[in-house]
Amino acid sequence: MGSTVLIVRLALADMRRHKIQAAMLLLAVTVATATMTLGLSLRGVSDALYEQTRAATAGPDVVALSGETGPTVTSALTSLTDDPEVVAHHGPYRIVYADLTTRDSISSPVVVQGFAETPGTLNRPLVTSGHWVRPGGTVLERGFATALGAGVGDHVTIAGRSYPVVGIAVTAATSIYPWAAQIGPYGGPSDYTGLAWMTRSDARALAASRDLPVTTALDLKLRDPGGTEAFLAAHHGLTLRVSLHTWRFTAEQDMVILRDTQPILVVGSWLLGFLAITGVAALAAGRAIERTRRAGLLKAVGATPSLIATVLLTEYLALALIGDALGLVIARLTLPAVASPTASRIGTAELTGATVAAATVLAMAVAVLSTLRPTLRAMRTATVTALTATAHQPRHRPRLTALSALLPTPLLLGLRLTARRPGRAVLQACSTATTVIAIVALLTLHAQPERGYGLDGSSALPNLRGEHDRGLMLAVTVLLIALAVVNTLTFTWTTAMEARASMAVARTLGATPGQISAGLSAAQLLPALPGAVIGVPLGAGLLSLFAAPNAVEPPSSWLLAAALATVLTTAALTALPARLAARVPVAQTLSAETA
Amino acid sequence: MNVSSAAVRARGLVKTHGQGQSRVRAVDEIDLEVPQGQTLAVMGPSGCGKSTLLHLLGGLERPTGGEVWMAGRRIDALSERALARMRRRSVGFVFQAFHLMDELSAAENVELPALLAGRSRRQARRRANLLLERVGLADRARHLPSQLSGGQRQRIAVARALVNDPLVVLADEPTGNLDTAASLDMLRIFDDLRAAGQTLIIVTHDERVAATADRLVSMRDGMFVDDTRLAGTGTGRLGGLIGLEG
Amino acid sequence: MQDAVLAMLAKEPSHGYHLRARLRHSLGPLGESMNPGQIYVTLARLEKAGLVVCERADGLPEKPERKVYALTPAGQQRVAAWLTEIGWPKPDLAEFHLKLATAAAARLADPVELIAAQRRELLRRLREAQQAALAEPAGSGAALLLEGVMLRLQADLRWLDACERAWSKVDHEAEGA
Repeated sequence: MGSTVLIVRLALADMRRHKIQAAMLLLAVTVATATMTLGLSLRGVSDALYEQTRAATAGPDVVALSGETGPTVTSALTSLTDDPEVVAHHGPYRIVYADLTTRDSISSPVVVQGFAETPGTLNRPLVTSGHWVRPGGTVLERGFATALGAGVGDHVTIAGRSYPVVGIAVTAATSIYPWAAQIGPYGGPSDYTGLAWMTRSDARALAASRDLPVTTALDLKLRDPGGTEAFLAAHHGLTLRVSLHTWRFTAEQDMVILRDTQPILVVGSWLLGFLAITGVAALAAGRAIERTRRAGLLKAVGATPSLIATVLLTEYLALALIGDALGLVIARLTLPAVASPTASRIGTAELTGATVAAATVLAMAVAVLSTLRPTLRAMRTATVTALTATAHQPRHRPRLTALSALLPTPLLLGLRLTARRPGRAVLQACSTATTVIAIVALLTLHAQPERGYGLDGSSALPNLRGEHDRGLMLAVTVLLIALAVVNTLTFTWTTAMEARASMAVARTLGATPGQISAGLSAAQLLPALPGAVIGVPLGAGLLSLFAAPNAVEPPSSWLLAAALATVLTTAALTALPARLAARVPVAQTLSAETA
Repeated sequence: MNVSSAAVRARGLVKTHGQGQSRVRAVDEIDLEVPQGQTLAVMGPSGCGKSTLLHLLGGLERPTGGEVWMAGRRIDALSERALARMRRRSVGFVFQAFHLMDELSAAENVELPALLAGRSRRQARRRANLLLERVGLADRARHLPSQLSGGQRQRIAVARALVNDPLVVLADEPTGNLDTAASLDMLRIFDDLRAAGQTLIIVTHDERVAATADRLVSMRDGMFVDDTRLAGTGTGRLGGLIGLEG
Repeated sequence: MQDAVLAMLAKEPSHGYHLRARLRHSLGPLGESMNPGQIYVTLARLEKAGLVVCERADGLPEKPERKVYALTPAGQQRVAAWLTEIGWPKPDLAEFHLKLATAAAARLADPVELIAAQRRELLRRLREAQQAALAEPAGSGAALLLEGVMLRLQADLRWLDACERAWSKVDHEAEGA
């Protein structure tokens, strides 16, 4: 018990002394876990929202759709109700293919379903505002209405006739907006389409007025909702011109809009986690001497190596767990918006235990990986050595030194500084590469041609899926860049602090402050350059794993510009800490080193 | 003595540290002229301001007041950049703590100021080897500082200070971290420099080091309290030192 | 001086000029200021004291005859006693110490000034000794003697520092009062 108190007290004290490091770990873990949680939750949440909508709207187990209309079709459909498995049905009802135009002149394909004014027991769309259909008035599906920006009281023009919008509703019988059509006229392919309801007679009148294409649908409720596959198999081939959509199929269709969202978030969370590890590891390495000395002090007064490791790990794990909790809360709050980009579904989203566990594992991994080296070092180093610990001796690199001797002074200093800490150079390269990967992904997403959801692919109604993905990609990229910026600042400052004695000596030998700060910048740029160059093909390669076969590659000039911009930004970012470090008076640094 | 013949000159030099009540005058109205080729020792108890004086003369710190001239050029108001260039050409430093770069070999340390001054690698290396030979460490050129003794490190530091053929070498407690034997090596090197006509300012509390100089100033509380010419004023009768007279 | 000359004769009788050369060799540059006649004065004193005897050696035809000096039994005893004797060359600090004290008491001179003058003198001597030592080849006996001289001078200089600290404090107190 006493040792627990001791561990907590020591960990707290250490955290207080290293506020920036603690804040950075907290931030990095929060961002990484939130992103990962979102990525992992998408499918579960999409399914859950469908389930909730289905329960609220008495969603059918099977929807039978025929590409045509007429008595034969109707009888073929109604024959399905003779199956003993079918306990209830709704319809057949007609589906009219038309165009809808709002007052703002936004046009979209629409399917109009003719429904009874009093909904039956099966497929009862849930009215979320206004009321259900009445003669002369139409009810818009909520996802569609949201995309159109239409509400109750507005008027919309369907196939040339104006209808007041009397209500907004959701249904589980069709896929989410814009896949409400399910099949096209005559069973052909369908375009991005919204859904509207009218009374049966209005729908019939609409179809007749313009000779619009019409299909027929029938909703079925089975005795066993789980037995849809058996039902499908039983009726396979019997009804050639009838396609059967199970509720599972519809739920699956909901995921189409999220197809690229998941890799963006999951891969994004790996990259964020990776940057978090590099950044925190660099900070931890910068404090390695102090940490080792502290460990030596604890050992000298009788602490066991395991206690020291426990203190160090406790601090990081505690921070990681707080970050994890924050990340989970953020994920929980943003989940409905991220997992359901349309307004076609209702319900609340919950995180599953498995997702929470996965996020927590990620958080712990970040904490453990970023402190592994300093912790092991502190544990292993003998007490006396630890107490007199100095910065670990940089290795002599005769060839590199000789090579740098041929270069102008800033590069000479920069190359030698890079060579002092090759590990940090690798981290800087990785950090830059990660940033470039994200930017390449963002650019590639922007380069993809896409059809808008409006009439004939008009982008008056934007492609929600593309927008959603680009929005998330932008968010992930911004987070990655933010972490990379923090990393670059940290790397430069740590390098400057570690090399301050050497740099002060270089100044006594006649190096100007400008040369010193240029050298410090060059030390970061030298590894950043290959990092940026490698990042481009890495990003392209990573995307090709998830991309559609017909994906378009962004112009290489964009990629080149991105890599160049990354390097230039790195240069600009290193300038500030480098200048600050180069301004410290020489005499002061030298006296501090001697003391 | 006219200004141009003085390698280093200071007029009314003042350096204060701290603010208000805790304000300390580390260097208090010092006038100094060191002619070309003179070796000057500055002695005094620790905290008397002698290291600060050296930093001011070498342009590592800026004076609070007064003037510093180096080779007839006023340097106390120069920009950091101009000061760095001035140091490159005109000043070589030797520090108590050696301040060698740990990751560079002896020869690489010595050639560094030459590279900073824009000499070619080949020239710099040739000059470095020459100087390493002069301080008796030609066979240690490829050794790292960590593989060398304190005395050897300080000799490398001296070689480094000389690599750009500076107008003046400024040494701050050069034997402060050395044992007796290594200190004697340093004495020999400083005596050689003196004989070769190198202008040299040594801040020290070691009487033996001070005794290599032509001239000695004593500092107390930031001021000179004594200025003695040591060269050419001896008794000429060494026997007197052991009572062998008469 | 007398004891050293006696000890040099302990191994075998020797000419005066030979003794002088041996002394010069051991003392190096420090012996240079030695009066050429000094060795003979010393030998004459020792002879008078009955510690050495002077024998005339037959000179070679082309060279004049030389005096060869040898130890008497009393001389041998004296050498044995000298070697076992433990002595300490006393530094004369009291004189300077009293000079400072009396100068201060009678306000004849400023003790700190006296100390500075003394230091200047000692430093000149130190420089002289050091120049001589640096000129000696490595491992020379004379260099070792010079090292001893320099260490004593260093000790004296440090004592002067202590004196200065003490006397300037006295000054400050006097000014304050």
